[in-house]
Amino acid sequence: MEKKNMVYLNTTPIRIWHWINALGIITLCLSGAQIRFPEYITLLGSYKSVILLHNTAGYVVTVSLFIWFIYYTFVTRTLAKLYVPTMDDLKNGVIKQVVYYFFNFFLGRGENPHHPTPDSKFNAMQKSAYLAVMVGLMPLVCVTGILLINVDPVRQYIVEMGGLKILVSLHFLVGSSLCAFLFTHMYLSTLGHSPMAHIVTMWTGWEEEVEGHGGSTDSH
Amino acid sequence: MPSTKKSRFLQLCIIVMLFAVPVSGYSMDDDDCLGCHGDEDSVAANLFIDQVSYGITDHAELGCTGCHEGVSDEHPDDGLIPSLVGCVDCHEDIMEEYQAGTHSDNAECGDCHNPHKAFGFADVCCADMNDQCAGCHDAEDVYKAHNEWLPQTKLHLAMLPCISCHTDSECQMVVWYIVKNTNVARLADVEFVEYNELEKLAMGKNVQSLVDLDGDDFISLAEMKVFNKNPKYKSFRLQGRLSSECASHTLTTFDNRWDCCFCHCSGPESMKKSVVALPTEIGTFKRIEVEEGAVLSILNNSPDFYLIGATRSFLLNIIGLLIICGGLALPFGHGFLRFLTRKNRLGK
Ligand code: HEC
Ligand code: HEC
Ligand code: HEC
Ligand code: HEC
Ligand code: HEC
Ligand code: HEC
Ligand code: HEC
Repeated sequence: MEKKNMVYLNTTPIRIWHWINALGIITLCLSGAQIRFPEYITLLGSYKSVILLHNTAGYVVTVSLFIWFIYYTFVTRTLAKLYVPTMDDLKNGVIKQVVYYFFNFFLGRGENPHHPTPDSKFNAMQKSAYLAVMVGLMPLVCVTGILLINVDPVRQYIVEMGGLKILVSLHFLVGSSLCAFLFTHMYLSTLGHSPMAHIVTMWTGWEEEVEGHGGSTDSH
Repeated sequence: MPSTKKSRFLQLCIIVMLFAVPVSGYSMDDDDCLGCHGDEDSVAANLFIDQVSYGITDHAELGCTGCHEGVSDEHPDDGLIPSLVGCVDCHEDIMEEYQAGTHSDNAECGDCHNPHKAFGFADVCCADMNDQCAGCHDAEDVYKAHNEWLPQTKLHLAMLPCISCHTDSECQMVVWYIVKNTNVARLADVEFVEYNELEKLAMGKNVQSLVDLDGDDFISLAEMKVFNKNPKYKSFRLQGRLSSECASHTLTTFDNRWDCCFCHCSGPESMKKSVVALPTEIGTFKRIEVEEGAVLSILNNSPDFYLIGATRSFLLNIIGLLIICGGLALPFGHGFLRFLTRKNRLGK
């Protein structure tokens, strides 16, 4: 039998947060598609209900983004350490990770250069991607979304900043980017030592390090 | 005695003239009527008629007596109230249409229209049309009733004429009005810019030339952009309203207006036609056709109109699709290689 080494990677609040967020974002992508193409997509019921759903999910994800931020900055105080890539990460880490995922992985050689610990959950590639998503795209999509729910009172400001069309276009493009990220994220989460390994970790919190196998987690 | 002859003749003339008036019947013409009724000092406020706006309507051609029969020459001293021709006598088809709706028990033609300011559909601004309803339908109550089912109620009620949802006219188009925001906090509702202000802005030139630069009664995308980007007009902007294309009088609540799809699923195809409505000196509006594509343009032409679901940009759809395909490249590309090389990882 292989020697198993269990690491507790994801605390309960983070796991709850992750799955609420996941559900929220998937809902937003689907309902967003219907809102933009109502003649073609009628997946989630009437236009009114889909708008209500999108708005509600939007607020849920916004609140959850806040909670995520507060939890990591004030409770665990590990935001910078976990999410901001170091110079070393950028110089070597990303390359190592790319070499692993696109080369060694296929050849079945070597192991994942990154070994997640609660203090260093993410590899260099993840750090860079999550930082861009969590600090760039997510706040942007939330802010533009909230503006769109409240067009009436802030219309003048919107027009001064370029107009409703620009706001909506921004919201749409960032939303599309997040949707693209979602596909990548879900796929990468199957690259653990077994396809379900990372997903189980995100559910139970425990990462199972198999001897001779690196695991990396795609949770954030 | 020539002098007495002359004065006799004068007397006679005066007598003849005095009698001639009643004998010749209704000889008071519109100018006579307006001499009193068009003058605020001669008649009570409720009898006053605004000559300028009356003068441009088709009704002016009928003449006062076309509708007010039997105004005697003693008027107003005879104490008689002149008789009235009903609207139905001349507008039979509209009357029929109106009576087909449920509203005809609630209001008559005159409750919504001033017969002395009978403007056509295109002459009336969206807000003025809604004012016709506001007299009986308190804004607060209307807000409450619609807020029960319509999201963004305030926005919808501000951006749509009531008749878009309450008459059976199905065709919609976008009408651009020049609006401004006067509130310092810039949070308040916008105001429609009036003719006087635009006249000042035009500095002696024709008001139409502000938007229609070459005066050809057609506004190209380039002309619209020039207006939108001109720093001199910074506090003004063109704001779009979705409006019925024609007036209908089957006034009631239509089931398909519950359905947001009536407007929001109409597709970009329906968003091609638009007109700019410019205020005129007398408070009506003049419509000028706008080149196709203004409503859908992202950058330059229509910063202040967005109908979710319908005004989406084709170009942006493509870009969005490419981004999403980019996200799928990894799962598919990597996944494919992963599948081909699966043997390399066996036994690990
Ligand atoms: C000398 C001034 C004068 C002239 C000229 C005049 N009116 Fe009047 N009119 C009045 C006054 C004053 C009243 C109010 C009479 C009253 O309340 O008893 C009145 C009342 C009326 C009313 C009734 C309003 C109501 O519902 O109580 C009508 C209709 C009317 N005028 C139409 C006309 C028309 C049409 C003409 C021209 C053919 C005309 N008037 C010419 C002074 C004038
Ligand atoms: C298209 C038909 C029409 C024409 C033309 C018309 N009127 Fe009237 N007028 C009416 C009607 C209908 C009313 C009754 C309005 C009401 O009861 O609210 C009215 C009412 C009036 C009144 C009563 C005050 C008021 O506004 O309710 C006066 C005074 C009057 N008209 C004068 C005139 C004069 C003077 C002219 C010509 C300059 C004229 N009208 C032309 C249809 C007409
Ligand atoms: C509940 C309000 C209301 C009632 C009642 C009403 N209308 Fe109108 N009508 C409107 C509105 C709103 C318009 C759009 C243009 C405007 O505001 O004048 C209009 C437009 C018109 C037009 C211009 C149509 C065009 O295509 O240019 C005519 C003519 C007209 N109405 C006649 C009548 C007649 C006749 C009656 C009585 C049978 C009547 N209206 C009753 C609200 C009403
Ligand atoms: C004596 C005939 C006559 C009477 C009575 C009459 N109208 Fe008219 N009205 C006309 C004519 C003619 C026109 C111009 C042609 C048209 O649009 O039908 C007109 C035009 C209008 C218009 C403007 C339509 C446009 O497109 O410019 C409105 C609004 C209107 N009438 C409302 C009324 C109302 C409301 C009444 C009753 C108070 C009324 N009319 C009574 C003959 C009449
Ligand atoms: C003279 C007063 C009056 C005017 C003007 C008026 N209404 Fe009404 N309306 C009523 C009354 C009275 C009722 C019946 C009571 C109620 O539902 O509030 C009514 C009912 C309605 C209803 C609900 C009942 C139905 O028939 O479906 C609608 C919708 C409506 N009005 C729309 C309008 C619109 C839109 C306008 C303006 C173009 C307008 N009304 C102008 C008096 C008026
Ligand atoms: C987006 C479409 C839409 C617009 C715009 C709109 N309405 Fe309505 N309105 C409706 C529908 C649908 C109903 C039926 C709702 C109900 O019965 O509760 C309704 C109901 C009403 C009623 C009856 C309310 C009651 O208490 O039963 C009145 C009155 C009314 N509208 C007036 C107006 C007026 C006035 C305006 C313009 C300021 C307006 N509406 C604009 C769609 C609209
Ligand atoms: C009669 C046409 C019409 C109907 C029916 C209608 N809307 Fe709208 N809707 C509009 C217009 C016009 C705007 C405002 C456009 C603007 O702000 O420039 C709008 C704006 C909106 C917005 C704000 C969009 C933004 O920019 O964030 C939402 C949300 C919305 N509608 C939802 C609905 C829902 C849900 C329904 C059905 C219950 C509905 N609408 C029915 C015409 C309509």
